[in-house]
Amino acid sequence: MKKYLAIAQMQIINNIAYPGDVLGRSVSIAVFLFIFAGLWRTTFIIAGTESINGLTFADMMWYLMMAETLELGRPRTNRVISEQVKNGEVAYILNKPYHFLLYHFWFGVGDSLMRVGTNIGVGVVVAWALAGPPPSLAGWGMALVTLVGAWVLHFCMMALIGLAAFLVEETNSFELIYQKAVFILGGMLLPLDMFPEWLQRIARLLPFPYMMYAPARLFVKPEPSLFWQMLAAQWMWVAVLVFVLALAYRGSERALTVNGG
Amino acid sequence: MTAIEVRQLQKTFQTKRKAAGLGASARALFKPEYSEVEAVKKLSFQMDAGELLGFIGPNGAGKSTTIKMLTGILHPSGGEASVLGFTPWKERRKLAFHIGTVFGQRPQLWYHLPAIDTLLLFGKIYELDDREAKKRIEFLSEAFEIRDLLETPVRKLSLGQRMRCEVAASLLHRPKLILLDEPSIGLDVVAKQRIRDAIRRMNQEEGVGVLLTSHDAGDLEALCKRVIIVNHGQIVYEDKVSTLKRKHLTSKLVEVRYAQEIPSNFHLKGVELLKVGRYGVKLRFDSNQTPVDRVMAHLSGAGDLVDITISDPPVEEVIAKIYKDGPA
Repeated sequence: MKKYLAIAQMQIINNIAYPGDVLGRSVSIAVFLFIFAGLWRTTFIIAGTESINGLTFADMMWYLMMAETLELGRPRTNRVISEQVKNGEVAYILNKPYHFLLYHFWFGVGDSLMRVGTNIGVGVVVAWALAGPPPSLAGWGMALVTLVGAWVLHFCMMALIGLAAFLVEETNSFELIYQKAVFILGGMLLPLDMFPEWLQRIARLLPFPYMMYAPARLFVKPEPSLFWQMLAAQWMWVAVLVFVLALAYRGSERALTVNGG
Repeated sequence: MTAIEVRQLQKTFQTKRKAAGLGASARALFKPEYSEVEAVKKLSFQMDAGELLGFIGPNGAGKSTTIKMLTGILHPSGGEASVLGFTPWKERRKLAFHIGTVFGQRPQLWYHLPAIDTLLLFGKIYELDDREAKKRIEFLSEAFEIRDLLETPVRKLSLGQRMRCEVAASLLHRPKLILLDEPSIGLDVVAKQRIRDAIRRMNQEEGVGVLLTSHDAGDLEALCKRVIIVNHGQIVYEDKVSTLKRKHLTSKLVEVRYAQEIPSNFHLKGVELLKVGRYGVKLRFDSNQTPVDRVMAHLSGAGDLVDITISDPPVEEVIAKIYKDGPA
């Protein structure tokens, strides 16, 4: 375990080497929130109502702050693996005494901690300025707990896409499809509450809402029953995806061809 | 004791083929064509513990592929291998504790951080306790002359400095064997020499075995006792470096300088005169056809010798000769 924590720590040190870059990337959350604040303010004015499907303008802003924090801070494991396969660096990752996937898991943890931290910092300041004070402590608590499961789900999906690099090297197209699924079915751009009932039902059968909607929705509406329900579904999906990932790893390991080898 | 044993090892890659142009690209989308490349063909060899073995050959000979199979990164298409008693592709993580690797063209040190950070990380990865790791880093800093480089971000080091740090990093956990894949590629003469000296020292002091692939015959001459030459995935030569030189290095280069002027029509039967000056000559001869003592007798009889140098041609020429003549 000590070695994996050291890997996460190393990636934090690596990010600290370029603090301007990390902070610069966090500016995009501010831009995103300003644009969506304009859109939702207009929507609420046109609708002539204080809330839409139970969510107020302030709820929408804080929901989007949490969702965007996760989107910008989620692991980019597929890109890291793909790059390592293309430049041959994967040879060094594979011949060290650690598990390949656990290396990437903890590398991702180190990478995300910095990015989620700075995104939350910038996001809270901007959302507060646009929509007033943040939700309750219960909201923070439930969001942080489900954020962990959401991050693990993102990691599993990214690593699965990343393993495809052992076969096809370039995985950007897979990531784009995945990202769009999370944007829509995961409730990143629009909370699931805004969807028609039938689409909500379909979305809840898939892992995507537990990657984004769960922490963002619980953040603004911390309902204990929904929390336990979401948490159970989330970790059920974690179990499924970890199993699939382990199988995929065993299969793809044999298929690896190291560039220049 | 045997460190590496390889029997009938094979690796075949499947590569996509596509003719030039838009039409061919469109066809390849629906009906891709593949061809098989046999990178390693039934390779068999042994390496003893603590041995310095050179594994050389031209580009695409299968050297790197063999190293990657021996470290367990690539699964072979056939054959067997045992490295320090482990089957590499089945026991990769266990084996990793006992071997070190350097892939000369790729960095293992974290590029934006000082090398000391990577070394300390490797200490944890190889499960050394902190005090032991620091002591080892201290020793390697001295052996590889990298003490002053450790706190500089790797991206700011020269290639030679970086390579010394890379090789030192691969030795942090006291491996019994290091596999060096082109460690001297792109280095200047001085940088190469420093790396070779440090590797030789580690071999002598710690008994670490070295399997070295290289394009550079100088690495082979400076470091290795035994050599395996591969071409097209097969062994074309396997023997001591000294035997290689004796059998395939029959051509000698001689440079002589005299105290007085030599006649302009200076000549010797059975030798090729490369350069004739007023006070000296440079010549080449094949010792199998013209005995060395006859050449020496002629040269010393031609005047008062001031200086004489006899050398072998570079090993690259020997390899070319083996490719041309066959290994016999």
